[in-house]
Amino acid sequence: MLEADRTRATDMTTDFLDQPIDSGMRLRLSPKARVRTDKISGKPALLYPEGVLLLNPTGAAIVELCDGQHTVAEMVSKLAIRYNSPPDRLSVDVTQYLGRLRDRELLEVVPEAKDSP
Amino acid sequence: MKTPVTPGATESIEELRAQTQPSSELGPQPSPPRPFGLLAEITYRCPLHCPYCSNPVDYPTSRPELTTEDWKQVFRQASDMGVMHVLFSGGEPLQRPDLPELVAAARNVDLYTNLITSGIGLTPKRAEQLKSAGLDSVQISFQGDAEPLADSIAGVAAHARKCEAAQLVRELGLSLTFNVVLHRQNLERLQRLIELAEELGAERLELANTQYYGWAFANKELLLPTRAQLEEAERIALAAKARLRGKMEVLYVLPDYYGDRPKPCMNGWGRRYLTINPLGDVLPCPTAGVIKSLRFDNIRDHSLHWIWADSEAFNRFRGTAWMPPPCSSCERREIDFGGCRCQAALLTGDPANTDPACALSPHRGNLTQIVNHVQESLEPNGTSESRALSAPGWTYRTNPVAPLA
Repeated sequence: MLEADRTRATDMTTDFLDQPIDSGMRLRLSPKARVRTDKISGKPALLYPEGVLLLNPTGAAIVELCDGQHTVAEMVSKLAIRYNSPPDRLSVDVTQYLGRLRDRELLEVVPEAKDSP
Repeated sequence: MKTPVTPGATESIEELRAQTQPSSELGPQPSPPRPFGLLAEITYRCPLHCPYCSNPVDYPTSRPELTTEDWKQVFRQASDMGVMHVLFSGGEPLQRPDLPELVAAARNVDLYTNLITSGIGLTPKRAEQLKSAGLDSVQISFQGDAEPLADSIAGVAAHARKCEAAQLVRELGLSLTFNVVLHRQNLERLQRLIELAEELGAERLELANTQYYGWAFANKELLLPTRAQLEEAERIALAAKARLRGKMEVLYVLPDYYGDRPKPCMNGWGRRYLTINPLGDVLPCPTAGVIKSLRFDNIRDHSLHWIWADSEAFNRFRGTAWMPPPCSSCERREIDFGGCRCQAALLTGDPANTDPACALSPHRGNLTQIVNHVQESLEPNGTSESRALSAPGWTYRTNPVAPLA
């Protein structure tokens, strides 16, 4: 990115993109996206303007927890129980998956009510 | 009516299938493939007269427009076949008073509803009705960044109303895509066009170089850009893509007359998308009507499933068996599918030829001749400076002669 451009990239969403997914973040699906079941494969499908993402079961479980209520750490805990997996290992996969959704601009960060310490 | 290729959908579906599912999970591809998207051209009527419109120059008028009930039936059938997106287009879809009812019917069978509009006719009341009906996203086309250029391209005073429509869409909380078809007369306004999209709060920006079909093919001498214009535009588009990452998705549709490899048109014939025109003819793409050797079946005579799976037109160029050399042995034949059948028909007279947008096409000369002719007439000294921007003598798009009732 050019230096001149960087100075303009100051809004929160861009900051969000430039930093790693943080375990304290609360994420939710962008309002333009919604999930339904694909009639052909029976798999959950994430729909957004002119695009479709067919989700595997783990992906669907992650997307379901992007409800603005759970922090990323809480998502990992729930998934660790559900899939009987070590949280450390799962945390890497979940963070990567969320990063991919974020790169498609399908996730939003829920602003914190007050500043974090 | 914008360009027939929907790069966003194409990229998203393909990338996601690749990224979210290991290939072992995909299993064998169904035969025929399942459709994902339906382009519903609900009317040819349009208040704009854009000279790059991809609508047919010779509108079919053999039948009246489909009725509300016809379209509802179409959406039910499409949904049952696995279609997940419907794009309401035209013409100008807002010309149909029953648009909110059609959107509601599509939502009712769980389709994601996209409105592809000029913005003209999007009153506050209409916008509220569409939102209540469950409309998911809106794409508004712009012809330029400001008057008078934008209005002179549209052939009518439309720009100010488009800006108002875009604001309305954002106020209602609907997702907004800003679309602009790029050509020689507006390419140099690209930076300002991007800024306008930002000002209007668009979430997606489609920078679509003109595809030469329909009215655009008729006007190509006045629309084809210079190579210098394209180089500069590409630089600006890439910089915007980087700068706006996370704020606005920027799609840059490549000008395929200037490339070496053809676009994967519609992601393959009868493979991902289908188009239904206002009369109910079902086509593999919006411009396939230029292929006069094919007969396209009508939704009033056959089921959508039969037309998709079994009709001659949908099977004529499906897969790779129809391909001539050099496509038939090309390692990219499953990537670009031999390019575009309509472009082959327009530039070589035979839709079964390799698209001349491919440098390997035996008919490549037909395309380079057109491009070179434009370049030479514009750049007598080998520079990009001598261009006449004023008063292009193009043919504005007109509406069907007999109003279809």
